[in-house]
Amino acid sequence: MAWRALAAFAALATLPALPGLPTYYLLLAFDALLFGAIAMSLDLLMGYTGLVSFGHAAFYGLGAYATAILLERGVLSVWACLGAALVVVGLYAAIVSYFATARRGIYFALLTLIFAEVVYTFFRYTQTFGGSDGIQGLPDALLWRGVAIDTPRRKYYLVLVYLAAAYAICRVVVTSHFGRVLVAIRENEDRARFLGYNVQRYKMAACMISALLTGTAGAIYPIRSAFATPDLMLWTESGEFIISVMIGGLGTLVGPILGGAFFTILRDKASSFVDWYFIVIGGVLVLIVLFMPAGLLGVRRLVGFRQWRHGA
Amino acid sequence: MKRITCAVVLATVAVLVWVATPAVSQPKVVRIGDLGSKVGVFEGYGKYQTMGIQMAVEELNAKGGVLGHRIEVISEDDETKPAPAVRKAEKLILQDDVKLLVGVVSSGATMAVMDVTKKHKTIHWNSVSCAEFMRTTKFHKYYFSNQPDSRMQANGLAKYIIDRMGKRVYIFYTDYAMGQSDGRQFKTALERLGGEVVGVAGAPLDTKDFSPWFGAINTANPEVLFLAFAGTDSLRLMTQLHSFGMTRKYRLAGIDCFLLQQDLASIAEPMEGFVQLNHFSAYNPDKNMQAFNARFKKRFGVDANIAAGAYDAVHFWAAAVEKAQSFDPDRVAEAHEGMCRDDTHIGRQCIRKEDHQVVMDMHLYQVKGGKNLPIARIAGTDSIGEPMVGRDPVEGFTWEIKKKN
Repeated sequence: MAWRALAAFAALATLPALPGLPTYYLLLAFDALLFGAIAMSLDLLMGYTGLVSFGHAAFYGLGAYATAILLERGVLSVWACLGAALVVVGLYAAIVSYFATARRGIYFALLTLIFAEVVYTFFRYTQTFGGSDGIQGLPDALLWRGVAIDTPRRKYYLVLVYLAAAYAICRVVVTSHFGRVLVAIRENEDRARFLGYNVQRYKMAACMISALLTGTAGAIYPIRSAFATPDLMLWTESGEFIISVMIGGLGTLVGPILGGAFFTILRDKASSFVDWYFIVIGGVLVLIVLFMPAGLLGVRRLVGFRQWRHGA
Repeated sequence: MKRITCAVVLATVAVLVWVATPAVSQPKVVRIGDLGSKVGVFEGYGKYQTMGIQMAVEELNAKGGVLGHRIEVISEDDETKPAPAVRKAEKLILQDDVKLLVGVVSSGATMAVMDVTKKHKTIHWNSVSCAEFMRTTKFHKYYFSNQPDSRMQANGLAKYIIDRMGKRVYIFYTDYAMGQSDGRQFKTALERLGGEVVGVAGAPLDTKDFSPWFGAINTANPEVLFLAFAGTDSLRLMTQLHSFGMTRKYRLAGIDCFLLQQDLASIAEPMEGFVQLNHFSAYNPDKNMQAFNARFKKRFGVDANIAAGAYDAVHFWAAAVEKAQSFDPDRVAEAHEGMCRDDTHIGRQCIRKEDHQVVMDMHLYQVKGGKNLPIARIAGTDSIGEPMVGRDPVEGFTWEIKKKN
């Protein structure tokens, strides 16, 4: 598993070196990988713990605003931005997860949605943070003194490093004892409780890890786009994260990365060809759900990859 | 061996000829980007922007294009949000290599796109957005606008409101860059002219139900209700105001992009008597507007509207390129400055050097029977105001209501 992940990240690292690759594709790759990373973070909650969050956009948006506020005020260090995002998102996630994990199923989903809508509304109406237009025209962040993250290539490597780190964290989590308890909670919460596990604490911890990873992704976004707007926190954004997880394949980590990237690229390409691209995206999603219920990663089974691997 | 060598040489020559031939016979192409709302609250503006650009490009290509290049338009949807707008602007500039970007519709998204066009040095025209930041704090040398901004509209309309409609005004605006900007400028202008702003309120973009704000409006008891909304927001707002009897109770005035002419017919009754400042109407007898509208209608089968300013944007850019004899953005931007054209869709327009705002005469219109009919003419020089590049238009402003005894 590890060598395959290393090979995949090594291949991704060579992308900017491809001859003739338009700069735009590096930015598109940035968006695709960032979206994939968020979907992977959500998969930790949805796929492994069995909790569907409709409020991940709030973690993402809060991270973005933390960076935007610092950059706007002249604090250009990317480390300061990431640190601030972790603190802000961590505090918010602690509150949300404390209340939301006390409930199960649809009630958990609704509570995450309601908290996210409150945050969205707050930023939309608060003129200190630019109201509905958000914070725009941000300067380039600095990796360290004199080294600005100012080119598409540097931005791409920033998101790639983040994705690699996030993947490593998620992989460690799901393969640990903690991860196995999360799966046990997903499969039978009551039985896990009877076995002596403090279920709510485990769910809270999963929620916090997922939220912090998503918030970090959010903190990186303004470094690429130079703005943060309340739209980033809208429930539709959370919906797109969930769709990406479903496209890629629940409980696989790698699948949601592929799903997020696939969704981003499909949206970008379809919208360049037709005005009614939402129908195209919707159609593709319906086909995936109907014929590939295990998501994009399930394609391996269709082509017999698994059988070949086991046979070998 | 000789045969093989011969075959390889012949094949190589054939491939080279095949590769080279299209390059020689096909005309050179220059691309321009059309970035606007194709869905959502401002869909209508985006679609008419595309038509305006298309018409200008067809005219230019019929005359040989620009600098011997055939013009090709690439259209993209901004989804009326900053994030997709920025992504699409980057795609147009970095992948499609457009030399001109026209758009976008929403002022909030336009400001975000301005950062992209500034960074990548791309000529950027806007024909719909009207927040004053584009001429002030966000201004850059590659940005041009032929849409009257909030200040121009306020300068042109506020006096009419005070003189003819009433001094007690309630300002109701859509709560984002455009509406806030319009609200601010009109409040400033009305108070400067001796009017009394009896209340202000903002409703979020794409609000479905405006009735929660109606109580405050009725309590303030204004003579005039000034509305800074656009697109489908305006349609919903007017329908709801009418059903609450407020279109008959108050005199109504609004911003230039409040409703497209095409939408007026469907809500003619609520809109009856509505006053706005505008730079184009298909019902204006002005010969330039009529000539343009006839061509537009012949091409697309519908009347033109204010979004047709995109038509002039393309012509201005093409003229600047011809003047500069280059597509270099710095030279083209300089060639734009001070340029005047008499053959625009409303007659003479000039680009002011200092803030790249087009100076244009406008008309006050009043809706009668679902048509925007002109009632007065405002000279462009009277409404444009002094250049304010780099100055914060919000500085010193307050939404506070100043009570008059």
